[in-house]
Formats: sequence, C-alpha cells, structure tokens
Amino acid sequence: MAIIELSDVTMTYGRGPAAPPGDAQRRAARKDERRAALREVSVAVEEGAFAVLMGPSGAGKSTLLKLVLAMERPDEGTIRVAGRDIHRLRRSSIPYLRRNVGAVFQDFKLLSDASPLENVALALQVLGMPPGEVRRRAASALSQVELDPDAHRPARCLSGGEQQRVAIARALAGEPAILLADEPTGNLDPRLTREILDLLARVRERGTTVLLATHDPLVLDHPALTQQIHLEHGRLVSLHQATRAYGRCEDEDGIPAILPAAWPEPAGAVA
Amino acid sequence: MDRSTMSHSLMSRFRPLFSLGYVVSRGLRGMAQAPVVQLLAVSTMAVCMLLLGVVMLVWSNAQGIVHAWGLDVPVTVYLVDHAEPAAVDLMVERIGALPEVTRVERVSSEQALERLAEGLGEDGALVEGLDPAVLPPSLEIELAPGIDPDFGHVLAEGLAEQPMVEEVAVAGAWAGRAHDLLRTLEDLALGAGLLVSLACMAIVWSTIRLGVYARRAELQILRLVGGTDRFVHGPFVFEGMVQGALGAGLALGILWVGFDAAAPFLERGLSLLFAGGALRFFSPQELAIGVALGAGLGLLGARAAVGRYAEV
Ligand SMILES: Nc1ncnc2c1ncn2[C@@H]1O[C@H](COP(=O)(O)OP(=O)(O)OP(=O)(O)O)[C@@H](O)[C@H]1O
Ligand SMILES: [Mg+2]
Repeated sequence: MAIIELSDVTMTYGRGPAAPPGDAQRRAARKDERRAALREVSVAVEEGAFAVLMGPSGAGKSTLLKLVLAMERPDEGTIRVAGRDIHRLRRSSIPYLRRNVGAVFQDFKLLSDASPLENVALALQVLGMPPGEVRRRAASALSQVELDPDAHRPARCLSGGEQQRVAIARALAGEPAILLADEPTGNLDPRLTREILDLLARVRERGTTVLLATHDPLVLDHPALTQQIHLEHGRLVSLHQATRAYGRCEDEDGIPAILPAAWPEPAGAVA
Repeated sequence: MDRSTMSHSLMSRFRPLFSLGYVVSRGLRGMAQAPVVQLLAVSTMAVCMLLLGVVMLVWSNAQGIVHAWGLDVPVTVYLVDHAEPAAVDLMVERIGALPEVTRVERVSSEQALERLAEGLGEDGALVEGLDPAVLPPSLEIELAPGIDPDFGHVLAEGLAEQPMVEEVAVAGAWAGRAHDLLRTLEDLALGAGLLVSLACMAIVWSTIRLGVYARRAELQILRLVGGTDRFVHGPFVFEGMVQGALGAGLALGILWVGFDAAAPFLERGLSLLFAGGALRFFSPQELAIGVALGAGLGLLGARAAVGRYAEV
C-alpha cells in the first residue's frame, strides 16, 4: 500500500487566491504567469520503503516534501498520506499529521539559542511526554547521530554538519511513521554521510518509511534504497523501483502497523 | 507487557499536564527574555488599574456612608408596638402597588437592633443585651428616581394618619443628593472599568504581539514538529495572564499602601461623615477577584494577540 501518494500534483509558489473554478481561461492565464515548481507529478511511495528523490537544484524536491507536510498547498491534484487527502484535513488536524511525519529540513529549522538536547526534546514535548522520558529519548536520539547529549552549546554555535545531525535526531526522536529528509547529508563528510544513510536504513528496518531528497549521486549507491524518484524542472522524469532490497518490505508481517490511528478524522472532509 | 501498557495509559492521562508544564516554563522563560518589556507592560497596567481601584474604593466607601446614615431609605414608617399583622400586610401591599414606590421592606425590632449594633462598629457591644422591643418595627420605602420631590412628604402625611403608624420619617432632599452622588460614582466606576479593561487588553495585546513577532521562527518550528494551537500559543496566553495578574496585584498593593497612609487623616477630617464607622479597604475576596480580573484581561488580550493570523 502506498503511504505517500501524489496524483497529478501541480504547485506554484506565490499564487494569489485561486480563481473561481468555472473560470478556466483566467486559471490558465494565471498558471502561465509563473512557472510551476511541480507540474502534474504523480508518484507513490510504498509503506516501509527507503525512497530517494533525486534531481538538480531547483527541480522541486523540497517543494514535494513541503506538500507532504502540508506546509504548502497544491494548485491541483491530491496528496494522500496513509490514505488521507491531507489538504482536506481541518487546520486543527495538521499537527497530528506532522507528529507522524518526522522531517529533516534543508535549512535545519533549529532553535538557534537552544542546546541540541532542547531542540530534540521539543519534538517529544509536543507529544505531551513526561520530562524524564523526553530527556531519555532525546539523549538517545542524539547519541544515534554521534552527538554528545550533554553538550550545552546553543545550536547556532554548532558546525553545519552538527546542526544537520541535530535536525536528524529531532526528526527521529518521536519514532514517526514517515521520515522526510531534505538533503540530510548535504553538510556531511563521506564517512558521516555513510553513517547517516546507514542510520536511516536502520530506521527504515524498524518500520519507518523514509523519503530522502538529494542531488548527491553518491547516495544512490546505498544498498538499502528501494525506490528512486527523479524530478527535473518540476516534472517527474523517472520512477524506479529497486527490486534487490525491496523483497524485505513485501513481507507484510515484518512491518509494524504504522498507519497513525490517532489522527482525528476531519469532519465532512472525507471524500 | 502489563507494566508497559499501564505506564502508557498513565502517560496519556497526564499528557495535558506535561504540556502544561512546558507552557508554563516556556511562558516564564519568554518573560525573562524580555524583562524591560514586561516591566513596562506591568507598570503601565498597574497605573491604569490604580485609577480604577481608587474609583471603586471611593464608591464602596460612599455607599457605606450613605447606608450608615440611612440615606438609602427615603421614607421610614415606624409602626406601633402591637400592630395587627394582617393590617400591616395590607398596608405593605397597598404602598407597594403605588407606581412611585420601587420597594417596601419590613424591618423587625430584632433586625433594627442588629443594624444599630452594626452601625456603631466597634461600639456595637454597647447595645448587647438590650431588649429589641425598645426599637419599633418599621417599613422602609424606596421611591422611584425622578418623581415629584414632594411625593415623599405627601406619602408620609397620608401614612401618619393610619392607626398602626407611630411615626413617619422622611430623609428629604439629602437622600436624593446622596443617591445622585452614588449613581454618579457608579457610572464613573463603570466607565473607568470599561476604559481600564480596554487599555489593559491593548497593552497585553501589543506586548504579546511583539513577542509573537520576535519568536516567529520558533513558532514555525513548533508548528512543523506537530505543535497544536494550544501548545504554540499557550506560553503567550500564560504570559498575558501573568502580566495581567501582576499589574492588578501591583495596583492593589500601591492602593493599599496609599490607603493605609491616608485613611487616618481622612477618618479624622471627615469623622462627621463616618458616624462611628471606619473607611474600609477591599476585602480579601475582593482583592482576589481584582487579581483574577487582571489575569482574565491578560488572557483575553493575549488570546486576541495570538489569533489565527498572528503568525507570519
Ligand atoms: N518559497 C518560495 N517562493 C517562491 N519560489 C520558490 C520558493 N521555494 C522554492 N521556489 C522555487 O520553486 C522551484 C523548486 O524549488 P525547490 O526548493 O523545491 O527545489 P529543490 O529541488 O529542493 O532544489 P535544491 O536542490 O536546490 O534544494 C525553484 O524554481 C525555486 O526557485
Ligand atoms: Mg531543496
């Protein structure tokens, strides 16, 4: 079953209010005004996959991930996560979607004055975890990315690679069903890149679906990858399923139930 | 297995509590991050609330004085000792039916004695053990505002002829003036209350709005890791409540110090007015209500500031 599914998604930044549905001519004119960041992209990521989203700078990789997190809205098309059309969710349901989708942002999005531990803790505090549990889990997530949980330096004093690893730890700490990672190895040396990819592969073995965006072709060499998605100029150019590693995922029993049961069903939003 | 399910359900039960812990600590940290802003907000609010506090205090004391002087009852009908209850009932009914009369209240001898003891304040012990029968039972009649000023006297003359009536006392023009004064003070208190409430909410609104703007990057991050509205806005709402409560607390504290210093002079200077009673300050309950109102205004101001479109 596809856990992330985009159908015919077109997305343009800086769009004004949508033209009335009947007014096809004005809609068409609007679309020509600005170049779409994504155009009619249809792609499905299977539950338990380790998928990589490839493409040159500006291809629309980050845009696709932002759509899955409901940070942006598509002009057209639907985006389903765990079977739900996320752009028909009520505003108040979006936090619950995001708790199930851990994300490493290209620009990290860390609290610059907070320590690594506090940054990671944040993702657990939103879940309403007791403070002791928050500390324990945050420390363990930091250790996984080879960072010292007891370091008190604020995030802005960390190197790019260290910040990146804090961001990865934060995304993993809540054990989300889906992990979106936007250039998670962009600032790392080859050894750490490999370590992080191995870590993501292990996370995926625990049952988390991983979608990683990168323009680094080295990532493609990782043996655990199950799927490649290629974007160029906002268009899907190829969709490639790697069969070698995929066998393990077809065994349904091996994958824990990761469909988040806790999402409040949006009233009246079900198609 | 059992233990883990138990701890899991326990955890989910306390979830709101843990979130509250975050909200409170983040709120306090946020206040500590901008102490000058907090100080300005709290002291400006305190000045506003001080104004309101003074008006309320004057009003409440004026009310006390008017009551102590019996000026709040324009016409008092003293009854003979053994008035026929049925006849009194009939009279109460007939007086109450007059369009100029708003209220008729029966006061027994015992109630009258009680009031006397109260009115004497510290000297109340003097009347202890006194036979209530020395004070006649009475009817207190309140008149509608704006009627013919002579109506009280006309009514009194009519009533004095009744067999069970011993005597009728009319408070006269004084009572009307006292009422006007009270009403003016009441309007003033209401107006001041409204203005001060608006001002306090505006102060909290603007400081919180500044805070939201200063911390917009953090708010975006909280949203992205799955923070609900309550989680993201909670610290700001808490901050607003603390500001409001501190402002009210500070105002009442200053008012109390001022009252303590001024009350002896006022009591000596205006001793004639106080008829043995003393100036009163707010009761502990009223103080608590004041602080709670401050917190409430802070809450409303903060809620408005973190409204749906506050985040950019
Ligand atoms: N916030 C924005 N406002 C306007 N245009 C944007 C915005 N973000 C991205 N774009 C545009 O959308 C297109 C796709 O951008 P996107 O960030 O998705 O690319 P990307 O594949 O992630 O690139 P990179 O590898 O450099 O991160 C680009 O043309 C970019 O200029
Ligand atoms: Mg990008």
